[in-house]
Amino acid sequence: MKTNRFAVAGVMVLLAALMLVPLNLPQMNDWLFRIATLIMLAVSWNMMASAGMISLGHSAFWGVGSYGCLVAINYLKLPFFMSFIPALLFGALIGMLLALSTGRLRGVFFAIATLALSEGLRIIGLMLPDFTGGAAGMFLRHGARPAAMVLYYSAIIAALLTVLAAWLLSITKLRYAMRAMHDNEDAAQMLGINPLFYRTLISTIAGAMAAGAGALNLWHSAYLAPDIAFSLHFAILAQIAAIIGGVHTLAGPVIGAFAIIGLSELSRTSLGIKEGYSLLIYGVMLVAAITFMPKGLYGILKARPARKPAREGLAPAGASPPNDAAQP
Amino acid sequence: MMYVQLAIDSLLLGGLYALMALGLALSFGVTNILNFAHGEAIMLGAYGAFFGLTLGGIDPLLSLPALMLVGFLAGYALFRYFLKRLLTAPQVNQILLTFGLGMILNNAAAIAFTADMRSANPSYASESIRLGEAYLPMGRFIAFGVACVMAVALLLWLHRTEYGRACRAVAQNQLASTLAGIDLKNVYAVAFGISIAIGVATGVVLSWVTPVTPFMGFHLLVKAFAIIILGGIGSIGGAMAGAFLLGFLETAVAYFVPEGIGWAEGVAFAVLFLILIFRPRGIAGQAAEG
Amino acid sequence: MQLTKPTLHNAAFLKPGLSLALGCLLFASAYVPARAADDTIKIGVPMELSGRFVAFGTSGKRGVEMAVDAFKGRVANKKIEILLRDVQSDAQVTVQVLNDLIAQKKVNLLIGPISSAMVSAAIPAWRQGKPIWISHGSTTPRTEEEVGAEPRFFHTFPYSYHYQAAMSAGLKQALGSGKTAAILYADDAYGRAALPAAKKYFSEAGFKLGVEELVRSGAADMNPVLQKIRFSKPDVLINLVQTSDLATLAKQIRIAGLETPYLTDGVDIFIEEWQKAVGDAQEGWIGVAGYFPGLTRPASKDRPDLFPSLAEWEAKFRQRYNAAPAYLDVGAYSATIMLLLAVDKAGSDDPEKVAIELKKLDVQTLLGRGHFTPTPSGTMNQAFQDLMVVQRQGGKNVIVYPNDLANGKLIPRTAK
Repeated sequence: MKTNRFAVAGVMVLLAALMLVPLNLPQMNDWLFRIATLIMLAVSWNMMASAGMISLGHSAFWGVGSYGCLVAINYLKLPFFMSFIPALLFGALIGMLLALSTGRLRGVFFAIATLALSEGLRIIGLMLPDFTGGAAGMFLRHGARPAAMVLYYSAIIAALLTVLAAWLLSITKLRYAMRAMHDNEDAAQMLGINPLFYRTLISTIAGAMAAGAGALNLWHSAYLAPDIAFSLHFAILAQIAAIIGGVHTLAGPVIGAFAIIGLSELSRTSLGIKEGYSLLIYGVMLVAAITFMPKGLYGILKARPARKPAREGLAPAGASPPNDAAQP
Repeated sequence: MMYVQLAIDSLLLGGLYALMALGLALSFGVTNILNFAHGEAIMLGAYGAFFGLTLGGIDPLLSLPALMLVGFLAGYALFRYFLKRLLTAPQVNQILLTFGLGMILNNAAAIAFTADMRSANPSYASESIRLGEAYLPMGRFIAFGVACVMAVALLLWLHRTEYGRACRAVAQNQLASTLAGIDLKNVYAVAFGISIAIGVATGVVLSWVTPVTPFMGFHLLVKAFAIIILGGIGSIGGAMAGAFLLGFLETAVAYFVPEGIGWAEGVAFAVLFLILIFRPRGIAGQAAEG
Repeated sequence: MQLTKPTLHNAAFLKPGLSLALGCLLFASAYVPARAADDTIKIGVPMELSGRFVAFGTSGKRGVEMAVDAFKGRVANKKIEILLRDVQSDAQVTVQVLNDLIAQKKVNLLIGPISSAMVSAAIPAWRQGKPIWISHGSTTPRTEEEVGAEPRFFHTFPYSYHYQAAMSAGLKQALGSGKTAAILYADDAYGRAALPAAKKYFSEAGFKLGVEELVRSGAADMNPVLQKIRFSKPDVLINLVQTSDLATLAKQIRIAGLETPYLTDGVDIFIEEWQKAVGDAQEGWIGVAGYFPGLTRPASKDRPDLFPSLAEWEAKFRQRYNAAPAYLDVGAYSATIMLLLAVDKAGSDDPEKVAIELKKLDVQTLLGRGHFTPTPSGTMNQAFQDLMVVQRQGGKNVIVYPNDLANGKLIPRTAK
């Protein structure tokens, strides 16, 4: 992961956000809240992607965190700060189980497994109405909600902690392991890195982060249903945010989250009166980002092995290999 | 009694699933790019058939060939001039680019066609034949017929034509294929075009079976994934087998498990997960790891 | 991993830099400062103008717009300012929009959202300021449990149990007691919420309850469930299923040749889109309605300007929007007019005064009598809960209950 001055800039922005909260400007606090939870999700996704695990079903962790928190509040009657513990534990657990059960699955197969996990959990949620309230959902226990300010501060601090955690991990030996695994797991194993161990570690941590975001969201909206908890929508936003901002960088998810919410609000307030355009714009942004900003995604692959395993084959005749020295 | 109907239902459902998975199996097997917008090809095919019937009075079965041709050309052009960059891209790009395309298509469809659900109603769609206590729904049976015809046609194409053989060669070993002088760019584009054409055919057939909405594609896509993984990557026969197996499992769960129809949707995911864990190569495919 | 020097030519620099700049720019432009306009009556109108529930939000918006026009844009000697906001059928956005409208813009009057899911998401946010809330929608009893007892909550749409109450009464009158009724319910908020009410009202009306089967919302194949129903041979099949599931169900019932003589549902069988999608399969279906296109009702005697005859209103609607009005449009209009009448009588948008005036209102609206009364299960202010039972016969709507409005008799359907 690149640690550059933009990571620092991202952190500064978040600190500045903390100071904006008490001013209570119109819509600002809710924007910051959404951005904060999106940052947590994007950083979490980014972490897994940097290790070669592309997760399409990140909503699984988010949802599990939300339900963990709901259980803590409605059934265990835990207070605000304690309620995050079950959420984080659930998220970590699902992350660990995912990594252990998918073993060495790569790329697309891992991605589909995560999708299956998220959708499967959603269906389980729907089919257990006594526990989750079923499709009709459940409200938070009355009187459990803290003051709004507490919520906003917590979200921003949580986002900061998440970025900090990602940074800490990136300066440890873990980053070499992740780099190596991302490029070539077999070679990594020969270097003495146990891919399964690192996968599980990363998946557990990322799962906990995403679950924390889900728990925060539950406190904010005070209502949960399986379709909301395991909705792929927010997870997709997190991926788009990480990509636009720059995958494999520390600042990327943060910046991307700001951009995504900014665009979403712009299209909602000025185009929102005409129904249906916002999502269309997301799609266009995503395609444009991948088509025209590949350098950020390619950059980290500078050290790609010259020859991919036989299954994937070489670049087809006629296409030129990526030219690292070229500037766009 | 129940069992006869169960057999009929699962067979017909399997046929629908087979058609759905066939297109995706082809594109993924040959190009190794997983097309997340395949569901949208199905959706557009369904709208094509619907509008053909309601605006032009053309029976969906008659508009099928024309729609398939349009699908092929669109798929070919899309791949040849846009998607081919994904061949050398990291998997993240592949997934997200086609995913983004899918988002654009289904939201554009929602704006253009409105989100109202539609349904084509050719006469055979509501008929059925009584077989003792059980009955055979005509609409689904015809869909089943179309699926069989497509599958056979595809297999013949893969084994008897030059392009088809080239596709198989590429699916097995790209390096050797280039050495054998096969123009990879073209082969990929043709395979992709055909997969889109099959997707369109799936949509046409579904237009009289399920409600047609702009967002119908994603749900079907995930099922199609489950099927090709169950059947094994790169194997058309495997995909067919996987489709019928899933059709049977879902129907059996719906009939025999309490509240089964609620759990039936989860069967695909459970199966997917189990296969990925225990036998990633599926019924008949090649290795998924590495 | 290299520490790249951030120069202008370095893409790794450009991209995050551009994104950041773009993000700030977008924020600045989206962040429209509120205009200072103290001499207007502000009404917050959060609606689902995109996403899953766009059909509901569009109807709600149209009803509100037509109502504001009927008042010529002014009430209580001030200009009406509608703060229309798209909640995108998304719970997070709903919370944000409500927070903005209530905590920032400090609206005292709120209409919308409509779908049960968004109203559920909106409730906690509403509690912050508790403006007058005209809730035209949300059929789930959860809403009643959460906010029904609030004095500033005015529910202008039936709850799903009202559907069952009307349907069971109507069927009982036509069929007598002792008949069997099977229930098919969808695995979604609507179906699961309506199930206990359906069982309660139908058994109280003298029906014997038969099998109870779940259908997966979005399933393509409902046949397994239909087979189980077929074997139990009920007289009535109660369907607690909505929109596209209902279309699939209706078609498959027809294909399966299910012989059940009476098929019931809620309000969805009057939606044009459903009728077109299922074609002949709609014959014989029985639903409940407050309104359907073509229904006649004369103009209100004291305020024909606000409540013209249905035919006249429909014509105006078609001319303006080039579409047929649905129950939601007509209802949203009637509810908004009632709100505006109350504001007019109160002379301001002070919530306490408006609440008092709303409770006193008793007017003939496009949907019949507009008057707020409590429900036995906890809502203090409920209006428009009485529904007609209507059957589709030969492509037309025939009212079979209550007797003073009926223009036909209930007939059993034949399998084909």
